[in-house]
Amino acid sequence: MTGVISGGGQWAYVAAAYILTALLTGGVLWTSWRAMAKAEKRSDALRKDRK
Amino acid sequence: MHAYANPTRFLAIAKPLTPWLLGVGLLLVLGGAFAGLTMVPGEAKQGETARILYVHVPSAWLGMGGWTSLAVAGLVQLVWRHPLSGIAARAIAVPGMLFTALCLATGSIWGKPTWGTWWEWDGRMTSMLVLLFLYAGFIALTNGDANGAGGQRQGGSLSRGAAIYALVGAINIPIINRSVVWWNSLHQGPSITLGGSSIDKTLLWPLGLTVLGFSLLFGAIVLMRMRRIIADNRVAARLRRLADDEGN
Repeated sequence: MTGVISGGGQWAYVAAAYILTALLTGGVLWTSWRAMAKAEKRSDALRKDRK
Repeated sequence: MHAYANPTRFLAIAKPLTPWLLGVGLLLVLGGAFAGLTMVPGEAKQGETARILYVHVPSAWLGMGGWTSLAVAGLVQLVWRHPLSGIAARAIAVPGMLFTALCLATGSIWGKPTWGTWWEWDGRMTSMLVLLFLYAGFIALTNGDANGAGGQRQGGSLSRGAAIYALVGAINIPIINRSVVWWNSLHQGPSITLGGSSIDKTLLWPLGLTVLGFSLLFGAIVLMRMRRIIADNRVAARLRRLADDEGN
């Protein structure tokens, strides 16, 4: 083993990397979806008003 | 290509495609992560920390691939003035920056137990940090264009300056790619090349799942952000027409 930290202590680093990836990716997915849904709803409402 | 310059035609494809990219992307990422955490053995030298590979490599690929796409969109905007290219470039910037930041963060988390340090100012890490700053600069530049004295740019297009910035920034991509060959680095050399992979097949297959899965999620984020910009543009155009009608 060439790593500085070996054994069970390594899992904490693995968990940190996966949790950070899940939180940031999930956050950007959620905010992108919400902003898109809101903008398309507003655009559709304006189009219906126009008719 | 110009057949899809019409946002209505683009939306006819993007709307049904978005949930598919999201669903399949999430399934592949979850499957790849599950396999990477539970089904493959620890790496012979690095032990369990090598499992970070399954989130670190897709992040690096998408951070670099994101800027490459952004530069292509900038070129298309400059040369052909394709109406969707500017929208695409603006939509790519945030997920591109996200995955670049994730690449740096997961790399740092991997570095501590493996190298004994969170950070080293070597060629690979420094050039990746430069990419993060390039994304931040591009987002600031395009937000400035949208909120400046001229208001929202016509159809969400890029300014000439932002398109040139995207092209010039692309110089950093081959530098990142070759950095571990050109300079001494704590970072390992290239493991996957056109000639093959130095990673054992038993460890490699979950990486295929997460790279493909995260790429589909990246595509879904880009489509969602493009749809948002198009909807905002339509609202702005309708409000302008309403104001004109009331003025007449």
